[in-house]
Parts: sequence; structure tokens; C-alpha cells
Amino acid sequence: MEERRHTSSHYEKELQEIKNDLIYMGTLTEKSIKMAMESLTERDSALAQKVISADDEIDRCDAQLEEKCIRILALRQPTAIDLRFITTAIKITGHLERIGDMAVNIAEKAIQLNEEPKLKPYIDLPRMSGMVIEMIRNSLDSFINENLELAEKVRQQEQIVDDLNEQIFRELLTFMLNDSKTIQRAIYIMQVSKNLERIADHSKGIADMVTYMVTGESVRHQEQSAD
Amino acid sequence: MDANVIISLNNVNFYYGQNRALTDITMNFRKNKVTALIGPSGCGKSTLLRLLNRMNDLIDDTRVEGDIIYEGKNIYSPDIDPVEIRKKIGMVFQKPNPFPKTIYNNIAYGPKLTASNTGDINMLVEQTLKQAVLWDEVKDILNQSAMKLSGGQQQRLCIARALAMKPDILLMDEPTSALDPISTAKIEELIEELKKDYTIIIVTHNMQQAARISDETAFFYLGNLIEYNKTEKIFTKPDVKQTEDYITGRFG
Repeated sequence: MEERRHTSSHYEKELQEIKNDLIYMGTLTEKSIKMAMESLTERDSALAQKVISADDEIDRCDAQLEEKCIRILALRQPTAIDLRFITTAIKITGHLERIGDMAVNIAEKAIQLNEEPKLKPYIDLPRMSGMVIEMIRNSLDSFINENLELAEKVRQQEQIVDDLNEQIFRELLTFMLNDSKTIQRAIYIMQVSKNLERIADHSKGIADMVTYMVTGESVRHQEQSAD
Repeated sequence: MDANVIISLNNVNFYYGQNRALTDITMNFRKNKVTALIGPSGCGKSTLLRLLNRMNDLIDDTRVEGDIIYEGKNIYSPDIDPVEIRKKIGMVFQKPNPFPKTIYNNIAYGPKLTASNTGDINMLVEQTLKQAVLWDEVKDILNQSAMKLSGGQQQRLCIARALAMKPDILLMDEPTSALDPISTAKIEELIEELKKDYTIIIVTHNMQQAARISDETAFFYLGNLIEYNKTEKIFTKPDVKQTEDYITGRFG
């Protein structure tokens, strides 16, 4: 789609700034997830602490972005694509902020798990985290480039992550049934898996907003009502 | 014609001398709705508005092609009296233009030519000033000159004056562009009230105004009707890229 620039270059700059801020925030959340997972697989609790303290910066970005968006709503009174862009940006910053919180949850579970002997080698969890990081990146790329196919890909990836989460759940259930001493650790691992699954949900939420931004049609809650 | 349609244009072209100002316009205006005409300067929106009550007749060397159907007849037929048309299709202009007469006579001037007794006229003055939400402000000074009123009051007086002719349609050509925000808000509220009884067609350069008060919006560019849609649709997800570029300020 041919992109025309605003007559007001200041306005153009403000909108560009929102995009840049969201990319920056996306990079921070990706980094937090990577670090949280590494703190688990490498049993590095100091690294997990870094994830917890890094969340302040993500929260600060969220508050600042929201403020910038509200300012544009109030002062520029955006319409059409600009209105859809700003409302989408407000939603995306909320999703990213929650993703940051989930990285913190994973880091906290890692600290607890690192205090106990390793229950099992981590194979599916790193696969899952690799996919959710790709989903965040894809969802933000789809936002920046107004790419509907990429948004659709995120929705498909979310299904794969759901399946992985269930597989991990079943596997851990067998551990718990065989040996009750594993229950505590198995539950912590399940919570890590659940948090990754929630991150995938938020990425899908971003992808759904991108579809709304580009087409003007809401695709949220569609599968739920179809079930 | 659809019962909800009050006036319709079929393949209308309009020329100022050799210059075509409107190209092949076909559109229906719906009854009891506010329709906004938007577009950059020179796009033909005011020309189109003035076509609807034959105000362009007053400009030399102009020519209309196509039909503008109102009450089942082409208003440009030779047997149609433009004065009758202008009674049924009233107009309010950019700058308030009250007559240099009393407030009372601004309203009474037109109806006096046709009414049979003064009692009816008094009632009409009160009724139309109330409709224009001006009555409370002027009821004790009806014999004062209209020129002493504020700009916003003068514009509401002009609306009352148009209403006194009991029109079906009110045409408004940027009716608030010379007014402050409070007066503008009063006129906008008035427009929303008036659409219960009248059809309003308004030309505005103020996008937010079009978004706030109109039910339907038509976007014109270089004499062409580019998009005509529900206002909500135009301002959230217009069908045509050119419309989107214009309303978001990406034009030029």
C-alpha cells in the first residue's frame, strides 16, 4: 500500500515515535523472556533477578507510550487509519506490559526451581519459548508493515504453543503420578509453561489488533464463539 | 424513488463558462438526516450545495446538465419557479447575514408576504425563534436591530429566518466558520435538534464537525464525488484511499 505522509510533519513524527517506542518495548520483552528461560535452563538465579528488576523499564515504557497516545488523541483528534493506529498502539503496549510481567513470573519460578535438583532435561520449554519470542516479533512486524499474512501466521503459531503446553502438562502428570516428591517442581514447571502459553495469547492479541487496524474488522473472540 | 430519499441527483454536470465544476454526480440525500459535504477548496461541494436551491442561477454564464429530482420533479424544469424552490429548500450562509431590520422583522419579512394576519406572524416568530434556540435570549428585545446581536446569535437568527418559510431542506454553507467554539457548539446542537423535522445538508471544512453532527458524509475532489458513506464509516474505515488521505491530513 502506498503510504502518503501527513501534511503536518510534526504529527508524522509523533506517529513514527509511537512505532519506534513499541519496537523498543518489544525488544525489551523478548530479552526478558530469553533471560528468564536461560535462568531456568542454565540454573542461573542471578540472571533471574535481572529479569525481575528489568521489568521496571518495561512498565515505564508502557506508561509513557500510553501517555503519548492519549496526547495524540486529545490534540490531533485522529481519524480513519490514524485512529485505528493509535487505538491499536494503546492495546499493544498493554499486551507487551503483561508479557513483561509473565517473564517476571517465569524468572520467579526459575529461582524456586533452581533451589531443587533438576526434575528432567528441559526440551519442550525452550522450543515453546523460541516460538513465543518469534510470535512477539512477528506480531510487531505485522504491525509496523501492516502485514496481514504475518498476523495470520501468529494466530496459527498460537495453536501450536497451546498444543505444546498441553503436551508438557501431560508429561508432568506422569512424573507426579509416579513420585509424589516431584509434585512441587512439576507444578512450578507447569506454571512456566502456562506463562509461555499466556505470552502466546498476548501475541495473538496483538496480531488481532493489527488485523483490525488494517481491515477495520474485529477478529477478536471469533474462535471462542465458533467453539 | 425510495421514500427515505428527499432529493436526488442523476448524472449532474455543472459548468462555469467552459470549466466543468462538477462531473457526473449521482447521489441521493436522505430525509431527516444530516449530510455533510467535505473536500478541499475548489472541489465543488459549495457549488453542489447551491445547485440544490438554484442559487447558481444568479451567477452568469453557468450551465447545469442532468436531473435534480425533488418532489418528483426536476427542479431545473422550465415550469419550476426558483423562488418556490428556495422557500422549500432554505439556505444559511458562511457569514451571518441578517437584514438591517429588527429581530422581529428579520423573521417576519418573508412570511408577511404570504400570511393573512399578524397574529399568525407573531406566533410564527416565537415558534421559529424557539426552534432556533434563540427565543430566551431575544424575547424582550424583539424590536431591537438584529445587527446588535452577537455573531452566534445572528447566525441562529438566520436559521430561524430560514425556518420561518417552513422549508423541507436546510442548506448550510460552512455555517460556523465565522463563529467562536461556544456559538459553534450551540449551532451544532441546534442542527441535531432540527434534523427531527428537517433534512440538513451542510458544507464544512471542519472534519471534526462533520464527524460530530452528520449521519452521512460525501467526499468531493476536483468536481467528482469520491465517496459517499455513513459518517461513522468515513471516519473509521473509509472505502477509498483518497478519502482516508484527505480526512487524516495526508493531502496535497
